[in-house]
Amino acid sequence: MSDETTATPETAIGKGSELGETMIELQELTKRFPGQEEPAVDRLTLKIPKGEIVVFVGPSGCGKTTSLKMINRIIEPTSGHIIIDGEDVTDIDPNHLRRRIGYVIQQIGLFPHIRIGDNVATVPQLLGWDKERTSQRVDELLEVVGLPPDQYRERFPKELSGGQRQRVGVARALAADPPVLLMDEPFGAIDPITRTRLQNEFLRLQSELQKTIAFVTHDIDEAIKMGDRIAILQEGSKVAQFATPEEILTNPANEFVEDFVGTGATLKRLKLTRVREVQASEALTGRTDEDRDALRKRFEESEWTAMLLLDPDHKPLRWLRGSDLRSSRPLEKLGLPARAYVEPQATLSDALEEMLLGSAGVAIVVDRGGAYQGLLDIDGIITSIQAMRDVDAEFYRAAKLADPEGEVSV
Amino acid sequence: MAFFTEYLADPRTRSALLEQALEHVYLTAIPVLVAVVLGLFLGILAHRSPQLRSPILSVVSTLLTIPSLALFAILIPIVGIGAGPAIIALTLYALLPIVRNTVSGLFSVDNAVIESAKGMGMSATMRLWKIELPNAWPVMLAGIRVATLLTVGIAAIAALVGGPGLGQEIFTGIRRIPATGSLESLLGGTILIVVLAVLFDLLYLAIGRLTIPRGIRE
Repeated sequence: MSDETTATPETAIGKGSELGETMIELQELTKRFPGQEEPAVDRLTLKIPKGEIVVFVGPSGCGKTTSLKMINRIIEPTSGHIIIDGEDVTDIDPNHLRRRIGYVIQQIGLFPHIRIGDNVATVPQLLGWDKERTSQRVDELLEVVGLPPDQYRERFPKELSGGQRQRVGVARALAADPPVLLMDEPFGAIDPITRTRLQNEFLRLQSELQKTIAFVTHDIDEAIKMGDRIAILQEGSKVAQFATPEEILTNPANEFVEDFVGTGATLKRLKLTRVREVQASEALTGRTDEDRDALRKRFEESEWTAMLLLDPDHKPLRWLRGSDLRSSRPLEKLGLPARAYVEPQATLSDALEEMLLGSAGVAIVVDRGGAYQGLLDIDGIITSIQAMRDVDAEFYRAAKLADPEGEVSV
Repeated sequence: MAFFTEYLADPRTRSALLEQALEHVYLTAIPVLVAVVLGLFLGILAHRSPQLRSPILSVVSTLLTIPSLALFAILIPIVGIGAGPAIIALTLYALLPIVRNTVSGLFSVDNAVIESAKGMGMSATMRLWKIELPNAWPVMLAGIRVATLLTVGIAAIAALVGGPGLGQEIFTGIRRIPATGSLESLLGGTILIVVLAVLFDLLYLAIGRLTIPRGIRE
């Protein structure tokens, strides 16, 4: 395994390709299920750096979920060691171990008989926190996952949608502020639109929390989007490649990885760039609380063909054309509704999709509260694809210079 | 018909019926309570241990197939006549619905719920009391309710082995057929048993309302 990672040429491309301080270390971790000839996980050795999301991805039956569930010993390993933050936890009391590790599963598994607030309070209660501290923490977390505590704390799981339930699942896993999170296809059973939103929100959360996360998915696109590092697993949890998403896309270690990543690597790389990393352009804006004649004057004196109408809180409402402001109808009813919103942490791929759906060729960048920040258009995306290609070309040149005989195939 | 004008009009009949009805209530309640404790224990055991599951379920099922009269009679040499054999026999009958529903109730709890409880560091005992039993409770309560209704009915046979309860009035009637008033006794005992059954049912409705958490109510 370590041979494969060191075989990859050292490059400056990508985020954090140097392995930092290790938080979770798996040593020769093996699981044999009774009655099966081949081990489900065969001597998996892997280091998960502190504060990173490491995604285990691979075809079904490759042992990725079994590998994950051995970390909190929901599945007891047959042999090998699990080291968390320098401590060998292979043989300690599993219940105490699990209270230090957040756990999120695809089927969520909220406790149906107790309220949302009590669900989130589970681990703090197990750890013996006092009531006040627990209830403050519950409210704080519900707020963090976008479920106002006043509205949701007293509800029951069945009264929530799938997406809301998984938000609670994430809040519950974070309740006692564990340094490590295990996530088993956490967004797998959620409809695509909500999934994208949850992924983006989770990434924003992670940028604040800096947890060490092991994340399982079968979806390479999700792996590329969520992972600081990806472990592509073959049967028996054999690591085919362990690298940053950029390295995997630009330099797959072998044919298996290449096949698994599939075609359309450029499109996939759009998932690696966030909207905030691209220069957003400005639009001509006007607010509903401004004087209509002033708006019209500003519009006519500008060179713009459209004006984005915002509400007093700067939330985008409508696209107006020049002639619209001459009509006497209320401002809120003029022009066309403004669609295609993206948040700064959305990927360029999300933005492109929104543009295509909105059929305006632009996406409106809004902050978390929905207030206008700027515009992103197709040209902006093309520019960033061009930039990626330039970086690649640089990389080939550097690799060739370093090893003129070597073959670099991408 | 003389049922209302003569039979129920007699204050002695009324007080005798009331007394027998109260006896019938405890003749039902005691076996059910004992069976709940025993059945819960056996049910949890059968759910936990695949080896014990089928022996436990077969034994409690077989018990129910023994004709009640025979079971009462078998117990007489051991515990004598009166309430004793009746209470033991009724307890054994009440076991099956309770054990069976406890097992299926526990199996009906979503695996993901149990896995997430485990993943959060709850011990097996905590999972049982805080997660599994509360979620299995609606199914378990339905079993206890069936056991109670079953017991109310079979308890009438207790009178044949000298036991208390409304069975006495019924068998008084049967013994005196075709004398005047025999049909009234038969009917009086039977109707009161039905009334008791309905009252017990209402009680379970109330218990369900009070004890089934709102999050899992239908």
